[in-house]
Amino acid sequence: MSTLPSPTSTSSRSTSFPFPSIYSFPPFFTRQPNSQTWTSQLSLWNSLILAYCRYNRIWRIDLNTAIEWDLFNNRDINRSLKLETSKEVLDSMVKKGDAEWVSGSGSHVSKNTSAIIYWRRPEEWANIIADWIDSTGQKNTILTLYEIAEGDLSLSQDFRGIDPTILRKALDVLIRRGQAQIMKSADGEEAGVKFFGSQ
Amino acid sequence: MTMRRGVGLAAFDNHQRTAQQYSDLGSTILQTHISELTDQLLTFQAALKKFAQSHADEIRSDPVFRSEFVKMCSAIGVDPLASSSANKKGSFWAELLGSDVNDFFFELAVRIIEICRRTRDVNGGLMLVEDVKARINSVPGRPPVSQEDIVRAVNTLAPLGHGFGIVRLANKDFIRSVPQELSRDQAVAIEATQALGYISVPILRDNLAWETARCIAVLDDLVASGLVWVDEQARPKEYWTPSWIRQ
Repeated sequence: MSTLPSPTSTSSRSTSFPFPSIYSFPPFFTRQPNSQTWTSQLSLWNSLILAYCRYNRIWRIDLNTAIEWDLFNNRDINRSLKLETSKEVLDSMVKKGDAEWVSGSGSHVSKNTSAIIYWRRPEEWANIIADWIDSTGQKNTILTLYEIAEGDLSLSQDFRGIDPTILRKALDVLIRRGQAQIMKSADGEEAGVKFFGSQ
Repeated sequence: MTMRRGVGLAAFDNHQRTAQQYSDLGSTILQTHISELTDQLLTFQAALKKFAQSHADEIRSDPVFRSEFVKMCSAIGVDPLASSSANKKGSFWAELLGSDVNDFFFELAVRIIEICRRTRDVNGGLMLVEDVKARINSVPGRPPVSQEDIVRAVNTLAPLGHGFGIVRLANKDFIRSVPQELSRDQAVAIEATQALGYISVPILRDNLAWETARCIAVLDDLVASGLVWVDEQARPKEYWTPSWIRQ
């Protein structure tokens, strides 16, 4: 039995994800014993997961539920990836910087099952957001994180509905670059972000 | 009188003198032939060079023309690829035919090596020529290459000792890009994968009349060499050829 992921963003696709040919190769769903073969298998799963998340605008994966998705289950050939193997795959993605475990530490003790997926790295998001600020003339305005992700002006943007954790990391990049600053209200609470433009 | 005596020693003398005359004549004929041959050869060389130069573009861009040209060279005993192997210096034919034929196969060989290197982890160093061809021809802006071109290019690599060679299995050409050659059993087993895409202990046992131990040994071998992928969700376990993964 396989399911589609529950919608995590406002946009939805009319056609389903075009799976690559490796997805129809039955052994792809078995953890390969040969270490070189496994290396190539990891790389293929890595690419597949990134492409799938990008297509469906999935920002994070909780393996315990995601293991039911069509991503990890090919109904046509009746093959499924085991949970342990999906954790190995995610571990390698984390090592490569394509994902991050939610609580920070690794999954060695099988505790972590939730990961943020960087189908764009924070640096890329930072660039996209900075360009958007420029092109919409929002320099020197203060925006809340909610406004950035869900405001009217970001409707057609790739970062629409972006996961708050990822957004925060992207903003951290801009802050480090001196292109943005956190604004605090009178009582010390965080009020929003001010952008200085991408120059 | 002399005639009759000629049966003896005189006849012998005659024979020697005649033999000498024949030998002299033979040398003369040979000399004439040699200089005729040399003339013809020089004319021929010039013609061949001119031909190669004026058809350089076609040789480079048309696989059918290229194939015919190479066949023609082979038929007259000329190896146009001689200098694309280790002894590039002073190759008579490379100079004669110009660098175009060489360059084409050399560049092709380089691309083949690169593709094999990139896919080695997936296929264990054994890849269908057809798949290599598809990859090469998927890059736009270059004239297409044929299966024959690829086989020729790989054969120029063989003497270099890096483990490249063509292996023919189940009527298909594969490129082997690792030094380890297939054992007889391995080759037979891989041929068997070409029917359904996979093999298993029962399939080998039933079709090849091998004992179970032999089947298991070969399958383990193939896995260890990275030549097959295992499907443990099949009962019994199936061993798949990566050549079945469509590009």
